[in-house]
Amino acid sequence: MSVTVIDVRERVMARNDEIAADVRRRLEAARTPSFNFISSPGAGKTLLLERTLAALNDEMRVAVVTGDCQTQNDADRLARHTDRLVQAVVTHGGCHLDARQIETALASIELDETDLLLIENVGNLVCPAAWDLGESAKIVLFSITEGEDKPHKYPKAFQVAKVVILTKLDLLPHLDFDLAGAISSAREVNPLLRFFFLSARTGAGMDDWLAFLRVSAAERRYPVRA
Amino acid sequence: MHSGDGLLDGLCPPMHEMSVAMEICQITERAIGARSPSAVTEVVIDVGDDAGVEIQSLEFCLEALFHSPPFSAARAVVRREGGDVLRVASVEVEE
Repeated sequence: MSVTVIDVRERVMARNDEIAADVRRRLEAARTPSFNFISSPGAGKTLLLERTLAALNDEMRVAVVTGDCQTQNDADRLARHTDRLVQAVVTHGGCHLDARQIETALASIELDETDLLLIENVGNLVCPAAWDLGESAKIVLFSITEGEDKPHKYPKAFQVAKVVILTKLDLLPHLDFDLAGAISSAREVNPLLRFFFLSARTGAGMDDWLAFLRVSAAERRYPVRA
Repeated sequence: MHSGDGLLDGLCPPMHEMSVAMEICQITERAIGARSPSAVTEVVIDVGDDAGVEIQSLEFCLEALFHSPPFSAARAVVRREGGDVLRVASVEVEE
C-alpha cells in the first residue's frame, strides 16, 4: 500500500465556467443578448419580468428561464405574458442557478429565433453572484424596501453586475429610504454601474428600462460597424 | 444541486457550501481518474477570504459527503488564503 499525493490545483468553479463560456459563445453567435436578474427574495424580479414581457411580446421574441427553489409559480406567472415556452428550473432547495442548468434550458430555446434571453435567478443576493451563467450581464434588483447599505452588505453582487434597478419606487413617499445614499453606496462598490429607477406596479420608469432592452437587442441584431 | 441524488438525505436544506462540496468531490473523482485507489485519504482545499464560502459549513458538508467510497477514509484540509481563490489543491490517495 503506497500513499500518493496528486497535485490538482483546479478551481472549484472551473467546470461551471467552462460551460458558461460555451453558453456565452452560443448566445453571442446567435447575437442574443442575455440578462441574469439577481436580487434578494421579494425584490420584484417576477413582476418586472411580467411587465417587461407584456410590453415587448408583440415586438420582440423574448425567451425566459426562471429559477426557483421550489414550485413553478414564477414560470406560470410569466407564461401568461408570452407566447413562448418559459423554461422553469426548480433547484429543489439549491440557492442559485448554474451554467449547466442554462445549457440544458437552451436545448429547448431556438436561439436563431430569439431576440432577447431573460434569466430570473433564485432569490438570493449571495450565491448567484458567484456563478457565471454565460450571460451578457448580471442585473441586480435593489428594492427600496431593503436597506440603503445593501451594496456594502452584499458587495460581490454589485461588483459583478453592470446594471442596478431600484424597484418599488412607488413606495418611496411611505418609507424612510435614502435613495441618494443607496446610489452612493452602490457606486462606492462599483463606480461603473448603470441605474434604472422604476415601479413595475405603476409603470413609472418602465419606458427607460424597455428602451434599454430594445437598444440591447438592436445592437446585437444590427451591430454598428466602426 | 438536484434532488434525488441521495447525498443529501437526512441533512439540513442544501446550501451554497453543499454545491461547492459536491463540486469538490467531482473534481477529486476526476483527478484520481483511472487510478482506482483503495481510498482517498486527504483532500486539500484552498479557500480565499473573499470566496464567499463559510469554512465551517463547507467542512460540515464535506464531512457529510465523505461517507461513501472512495471518500470513506478521507479528511478535508481547508487552507485559508487571501483573495477569492477557491480550488482543490491536492488529493492524497492510498494505492
